[in-house]
Amino acid sequence: MKTSSFPLIHNRKAMVGALIVAFILAVAIAAPLLTSYDPGARVGRPHQSPSLEHWLGTTRIGQDVFARLVYGARTSLAVGFGAGLLITIVGTALGIIAGYRGGKIDEVISFFTNMVLVVPNLPLLLVLAAFIGQASPWVIALILGCTSWAWGARVTRAETLSVKQKDYVKSAEMMGEPRWRIMTFEIFPNLISIVGINFIGSVIFAIITQATLEFLGLGDPKVVSWGTMLYGAQKASALSVGAWWDILTPCFALAFLGIGLSLLNFAVDEIANPRLRTGNRLGRWQSLIRSGEGRL
Amino acid sequence: MTAPLLSVKNLTIDYIGETDDFRAVDNVSFDVAPGEVFGLAGESGCGKSTIAFAISRLHKPPALIRKESAILLDGRNVLDLDQKGLADFRWREVAMVFQSAMNSLNPVLRIEQQFYDVLKTHKGMRRAAARDRTAEMLRLVDISPDRMRDYPHQFSGGMRQRIVIAICLALDPRLIVMDEPTTALDVVVQREILQRINELRRKLGFAVLFITHDLGLMVQFCDRIGIMLGGKLVEQGSADAIYRTPEHDYTKKLWASFPSLHGGVLR
Amino acid sequence: MAFLLRRLCFYLAAFVAAATINFFLPRLMPGDPVQIMFSSAGAELPPESLQALKLTFGFVDGPLWQQYLTYLGSIFSGDLGRSIKYFPLPVTTVLGNALVWTVGLMGTATIVSFALGTFLGILAAWRRGSLFDVIVSVGAIFATSVPAVVTSLIVVFTFGFTLGWFPTGYAADPALDPAFTFEYIGSVLYHGILPMLTLCAVLTGGFAVTMRNNMINLLGEDYIVMARAKGLSDTRVMIWYAARNALLPTVSSLAIAIGTVLGGSLVTEVVFNYPGLGNILYQAILARDYPVIQGQLLIMTATMLIANFIVDVSYVLLDPRLKRA
Repeated sequence: MKTSSFPLIHNRKAMVGALIVAFILAVAIAAPLLTSYDPGARVGRPHQSPSLEHWLGTTRIGQDVFARLVYGARTSLAVGFGAGLLITIVGTALGIIAGYRGGKIDEVISFFTNMVLVVPNLPLLLVLAAFIGQASPWVIALILGCTSWAWGARVTRAETLSVKQKDYVKSAEMMGEPRWRIMTFEIFPNLISIVGINFIGSVIFAIITQATLEFLGLGDPKVVSWGTMLYGAQKASALSVGAWWDILTPCFALAFLGIGLSLLNFAVDEIANPRLRTGNRLGRWQSLIRSGEGRL
Repeated sequence: MTAPLLSVKNLTIDYIGETDDFRAVDNVSFDVAPGEVFGLAGESGCGKSTIAFAISRLHKPPALIRKESAILLDGRNVLDLDQKGLADFRWREVAMVFQSAMNSLNPVLRIEQQFYDVLKTHKGMRRAAARDRTAEMLRLVDISPDRMRDYPHQFSGGMRQRIVIAICLALDPRLIVMDEPTTALDVVVQREILQRINELRRKLGFAVLFITHDLGLMVQFCDRIGIMLGGKLVEQGSADAIYRTPEHDYTKKLWASFPSLHGGVLR
Repeated sequence: MAFLLRRLCFYLAAFVAAATINFFLPRLMPGDPVQIMFSSAGAELPPESLQALKLTFGFVDGPLWQQYLTYLGSIFSGDLGRSIKYFPLPVTTVLGNALVWTVGLMGTATIVSFALGTFLGILAAWRRGSLFDVIVSVGAIFATSVPAVVTSLIVVFTFGFTLGWFPTGYAADPALDPAFTFEYIGSVLYHGILPMLTLCAVLTGGFAVTMRNNMINLLGEDYIVMARAKGLSDTRVMIWYAARNALLPTVSSLAIAIGTVLGGSLVTEVVFNYPGLGNILYQAILARDYPVIQGQLLIMTATMLIANFIVDVSYVLLDPRLKRA
């Protein structure tokens, strides 16, 4: 079997990961079809356990948990992918510029990048969010984008440094192609797998951090997202009063999404770096050894 | 004719893929007499390094040595050795020098440590005895024993290659396999190292399986030569015979690719 | 060592950067920065105290650069102002007490996770393709893709509330007085198990995968082949030739991981009501106690920088190529 032009299909991890993400995406899009309740409205008694009427029970203020789950998916996904995209764009652009241009520009960007890397992320975000007050999801996405690009920039820069030496880049330079064109059309296409990993990683990070910030009370509690669900449940001491559905629903939703994205990420990483593959490609070899046809 | 030290018989090695295989070595047979220098020449990818690795059984999956193959050292088939036998055999009977000595030495261990682990594993030597033996070996390759406690990065490329040779000799092996030992070095250092190997060989009596793509170098250094092409051994004979009366087309082409000192037409 | 000195200068610059952020944040927000900073004080603060606080944070008369220098001066002389919520306690006291708990929790968890993760990674790489490798690799994905918040909640729900095996909050039994008695220390350890467990669950996977990948990347190196050719035992090759070399990039990734550790422990403390920096920060945010919030950033940054420096030192000790010849 020659390596297919679509290696992702043959990789089990990628398939499972993609399915999970697609499923969650579908649920988010189809939210109005899945529930008739308004996620923000009080539709039942407080802290009702799951029942036929309310599949996942209700919150402290009587909101339907299932409705909040499916509508909340929209916000969490949107912010996750939005912030992830922003982080990746900033990180990739800075990484390529630093790696390709070299010299003073590289020094400045690298110094700046290392500095951002070394200041602890969550405390910084907390301070920012504390001053901003109740941050809407879009503000959260924006500040995530502005503070979390450093790791991606560093990795992209390293890759750019090695791609820079390649022949086709040198020949483009010889032909007098303007630098911005070289960076966009010669260098960038060869960094696709690194950028891909960076992107998925950033999305995972954004989703986790958004949920964490909202859990700590820095989000806008009127917004419905998985993070604010956690916040609401924690404020209502859901665990102590035994309303496990209130707090565990967003927990498992976040875990599920995180695992799906991570599987995808792991698979992309393995495709880019085949040495890291797990699993067995030695089936034929093993049977030949067993039948005594040969040895090591 | 004395019994050969190394006897490779019908060696066939495949790399097993998911659907088909690649035959790296195809039914190769040759002998190496005790104390002789046997050279294996050929271009990159012709299978010579694969053979070198097979002698110490260093291959990993998906390499597969076919069942008809035999590698006899002093009559014993190396391929039949069990784990313990193999561990004993390695380095004691056959030692190996790799292409880039820059990478053959562990960067985080001191030189004396890299001698010690071999001496302890195979001979159970204590530190003091090991230090003496290490000093002896280093002197053989003209490296000051005072530098025993240095790290590999503190030596030049040529010195590191000599240290590797010294480690090879530590257990007095019968055969040393050298896989392109001087390719990464400049010609002057190359010549020094080869001369040194020759002296040591005459002194200690080991045989050498010398692998390279440089035919000219080979003819000066080896007693007998085998020419490899696409996994097959297409010609073998004494260095003299290969030089003066090559029989196979490929051998002739290899010689023809040397530019003539007198200028002249490319045939 | 030039290398270490350069790193120190860099860390100093980073610390000043964090202070600079602190300085500019209230000034960049819409409204009067003084109002914003001390809004939570209300009317309870006596005017001299308010004046002193303003001085500490650089709200003096004069151009911006003068205010900036005043602020930097305060910080480097150890004056982080006073907490508004816990007035008149200085910020350093409030944070100092919490710091001990956080360093204890975080430090132990990091060491345990690093050791365990590295060990698992070595074995997984050595037994590549085996079931063990698959379990470790996939298990690590699961562990690292779940947010710390979620892991903490699930752990406290399962082991704390449902099974009741461990306490669900606090650093020690609130009824006991802090003292160096067996009873108190025992209580501390008992209360620390769940938060520790959570943090280890979050961190181990990352270290395992990093070590595994680093090992695999160097398993093709010549010195590994030569080690095998020397007839050395499998264990010896695995530890002294492979792992010892793979440790270097893994240790440098530890530096980056510390940022994650800080974030993770922050959240874990909130869930377990552990009196560490995370919880203090959480309470401070609720109360809009800005002096504490700002002090927090500085302390956390300093912790991160110190931890990074320790990693740098370890790296120099581990890699002979960095020591002076």
